[in-house]
Amino acid sequence: MSGDGRPSRKGRASRQRLLRRFRVFRLVRSSKGPEPDGPGENEAVRRRLGVGFWLAVVWLVVMAFIALFAPMLPFADPTKVGYSGPREPPSAGAWFGTDALGRDVFSRTMHGARISLAVGGFAIVFGMVVGGALGILAGYFRGRLDQAVGFTFFVLLSFPALVLAILITATLERSLLVVSLTIGILAVAPVGLLARASTLVYAEREFVAAARVLGARNGRIIVRELLPNVVIPMGALTLLGMAVAVVAEGSLAFLGLSVAGDEAISWGKMIVDGAGLRDLQNATHVAMFPVAVMFVTVLALNFAGDRIRQYFDVKELAF
Amino acid sequence: MAPDQTTAAPVPLLSVRDLHVRFPTERGTVNAVNGVSFDLYEGKTLAIVGESGSGKSVTAKTLMNLLPRSALVSGDVTYAGQDVRALAAAGTKHFFGVQMTMVFQDPMTSLNPVKRVGEQIAETLRYHLGRSRSAALEEAEDLLDAVGMPEPARRVMQYPHELSGGLRQRVVIAMALACQPRLLIADEPTTAVDVTVQKHLLDLLDELRRDRGMAMILITHDLGVAHGRADDVAVMYAGRIVETADARTLFVDMRHPYTEALLRSIPRIDDPVHHRLDPIPGRPPELISPPDACAFAPRCLYAQADCLDGVPELSGLVGLHRFACLHPTGTERGVAAATANRAAGVTVAGLPLTGDPGGAG
Amino acid sequence: MARFFIRRLVLLVAVLFAVTFLGFSAMNFLGDPLFNVVGLMAELDCEAIEAGSAEDPSLDRARSDCETVAEARATYHLDRPVPVRYLLWVGDMFTGDFGTSFQNDQPVAEIIREKLPETLILLIMAQIVSLGVAIPWGVVAAYRANRAFDRGSTVASFGLLSIPNFALGVVLLYLLSLRWQIFPSAYESDSVVGLVFSMVLPAATLGLPLAASYQRLLRTDLITTLQEDFVHMARAKGLPPMRIMFRHALRPSLFSVVTVFGVSTGAMIGGSLVVEQIFGIPGIGREIVTAVVRDDFPVVLAIVMLVACTFVIINFVVDLFYSWLDPRVRAR
Repeated sequence: MSGDGRPSRKGRASRQRLLRRFRVFRLVRSSKGPEPDGPGENEAVRRRLGVGFWLAVVWLVVMAFIALFAPMLPFADPTKVGYSGPREPPSAGAWFGTDALGRDVFSRTMHGARISLAVGGFAIVFGMVVGGALGILAGYFRGRLDQAVGFTFFVLLSFPALVLAILITATLERSLLVVSLTIGILAVAPVGLLARASTLVYAEREFVAAARVLGARNGRIIVRELLPNVVIPMGALTLLGMAVAVVAEGSLAFLGLSVAGDEAISWGKMIVDGAGLRDLQNATHVAMFPVAVMFVTVLALNFAGDRIRQYFDVKELAF
Repeated sequence: MAPDQTTAAPVPLLSVRDLHVRFPTERGTVNAVNGVSFDLYEGKTLAIVGESGSGKSVTAKTLMNLLPRSALVSGDVTYAGQDVRALAAAGTKHFFGVQMTMVFQDPMTSLNPVKRVGEQIAETLRYHLGRSRSAALEEAEDLLDAVGMPEPARRVMQYPHELSGGLRQRVVIAMALACQPRLLIADEPTTAVDVTVQKHLLDLLDELRRDRGMAMILITHDLGVAHGRADDVAVMYAGRIVETADARTLFVDMRHPYTEALLRSIPRIDDPVHHRLDPIPGRPPELISPPDACAFAPRCLYAQADCLDGVPELSGLVGLHRFACLHPTGTERGVAAATANRAAGVTVAGLPLTGDPGGAG
Repeated sequence: MARFFIRRLVLLVAVLFAVTFLGFSAMNFLGDPLFNVVGLMAELDCEAIEAGSAEDPSLDRARSDCETVAEARATYHLDRPVPVRYLLWVGDMFTGDFGTSFQNDQPVAEIIREKLPETLILLIMAQIVSLGVAIPWGVVAAYRANRAFDRGSTVASFGLLSIPNFALGVVLLYLLSLRWQIFPSAYESDSVVGLVFSMVLPAATLGLPLAASYQRLLRTDLITTLQEDFVHMARAKGLPPMRIMFRHALRPSLFSVVTVFGVSTGAMIGGSLVVEQIFGIPGIGREIVTAVVRDDFPVVLAIVMLVACTFVIINFVVDLFYSWLDPRVRAR
């Protein structure tokens, strides 16, 4: 009945190939190994990171390099007032122009990466260490500890993030450490919940049961068996968490509540400096260059982070 | 192409010709349906039987225009002289749901969990027949009564999760029947419900069909379900109809080894106690780039070398007993093939024959 | 349903307790509580001043300051043991007594009453913007999944989610109000229309990134729902696509959005601090920032408590809202 089913005369060779195919097929079904003559590259298609990812990584590496070595790089002095005239448009001398005090916007933007990335990086590491430890312990031991930790996370998440940050920064000196810690505390609950959830999954697995049967102590099971498995999803979300932290620091800085002092240059602070109506009208570049650099950096963190998340097949979290 | 030389019989209600459905996927194109043709007449029941993956459900979904947009469909589907695919493409109102409709396999998932069952039945009546809300709800109650739902007045106000599987399937049937369709497609309507209510539901469907003069396509993996309820049976394998005939002929005088194997794999009431059932060895074939051979050959006790030389065509004319096999069971060629294979201990496709598979008799 | 409700209620009370306790701890344990309520006056050595000569006019000022300090001690129950102090403090808050701003001697409750409406209008408008944009956007993106519009909208939402609130606010302010002069650049309260109109940009600043995240969630859930059997059933019933979308698919697809609605309200409250700053809206966001800069602790704490408790209660209500969305939740 079908048009494409015409019987054709084929030689022995092709019949042999068909036979082999049937057998190969059975083998594949049972062993679930790679299919030798099938389209086996689809795994690779899903697991490729893509050009966009590498572009984002390049941007981030450059920014990190600048942040680390800004004082040694040939930038203008970012704090020098009256470097040239105030509110000058971008020129060959000052690529991003100058701000209301005649400071070099390009140099300040580059130096601004220092605090943003330092705070972002510290915060996520703090969140991973503290939140990760609490989450793993809660997920492994369950019971009372789990309830207490879960409740603590719940309470931490009950504050709007920026409001909790304000509560802390309002009572303490606004040093780099305090600001980093504040934002790090914000990261504890989301990261901890993730660590707890993945621990719950792995604690049920056979290899953990096997380790227990073999007489391994809890500490050993946690460090040797659970930690490596829980670190993967946590690590996969590092960049995404860092993006959130960088934005949080920016928001604090925008409100004048990030690291205090003139030497502490931050993107948020630069943006608020240039966001007055007069500056925005007449010297748009003062606000827009830091906005652009910050946007691209956060975009790069989000994009690379999302790709890594997909690569390791970790579910999205609602921060 | 299948020659369409239907005799002077009345015009079929539904006529399917050379239907192909392919799904492009990451791993390649899945050839889900490969040239299916059949006719269904007013008031008759056609059973489409096959294992999962045989393309029977895809065929049904194609008829109802329920395939994902990515599906590639070719072939003709004609309903009472109208081109169904053109109707669907044009977004014709009041065709699906009024003329033809469908009942799905799993009543747990085919009802909207957040709407009361009465509302879900009434919705069809309101949209297609312009009933008022209260009139539609009253009619919904009558429909529930008609499908044998106890306490229909209370049920209309309940949510699906408050009903058992069997009751839910009755709701689905009531919903499908609301606008008095002329054709009902039932896709494994009883697979997901308790064994104890399966027969009730099937008999109910049969009864409703006869009362309303409805035609029905009954899709099932169980030849036993088709027995006694279908006028015609089509057996599908790997996206093709491999044997089709009127029910009587098919059950007593089947030709395709797959049909035979299917029959042998279900328990029958007249089997002796502790009778051994014969499962079909192996699995249904992959539908991505299938080999140019009889798809059943790797699992077939009769397989010979020529079975691997291209796909066998369906013999005969539409409406007659047709089968696609080079060594049909119950014929001399079939007996010879089975004997040769048994002697060799292995079929030409590599299937080992351990013990007595039951032979051709 | 009753058990579900009671369990939630117990959790609500426990969280409210913890949240207030945290705030209380911040005031009492991070730094000197007395300093936190009276500022530099806390440094005065009042005993010495009392002991000093009653006639010495140079001590008059100090003496009155000491009276203020003693008053503050009484108001904030600073002489009581910590647990008692906590309970008294919570009790005060419940009766609407949030203390007094020591910058301008105004009762904090009054300040909040004055500033809260602006912030509420802003937040409500922002949610209207976000849902009003996200639902049609998500529906169209899911209906045309993986087509050009959907791909474009994925890129757009990624961009929106990556731009910090304050940056978006500055960009919108520059483009729509300074460059093209469509919206006013400053807050207006002369008329209701003027007020709403001047709130459009701030609401968009808060709402658009949220719309992007709602859109993504809604799109994903809708695509899943659209593959459900009951949607096939609705199609087999012959209902038109948009009716299926809105009557059948939308409601069961709103779970993620509703979940995030609660959480995002927190982000939005945080964002409102920034946005009020940019657009000069005299709301509680601006007030708290000013108070932090001036170390006006009673105001800071009161606003933080108010916001945190509101947020907790919103999440509680959102939880209950689930049972409307899915009747099956009630059965559990």
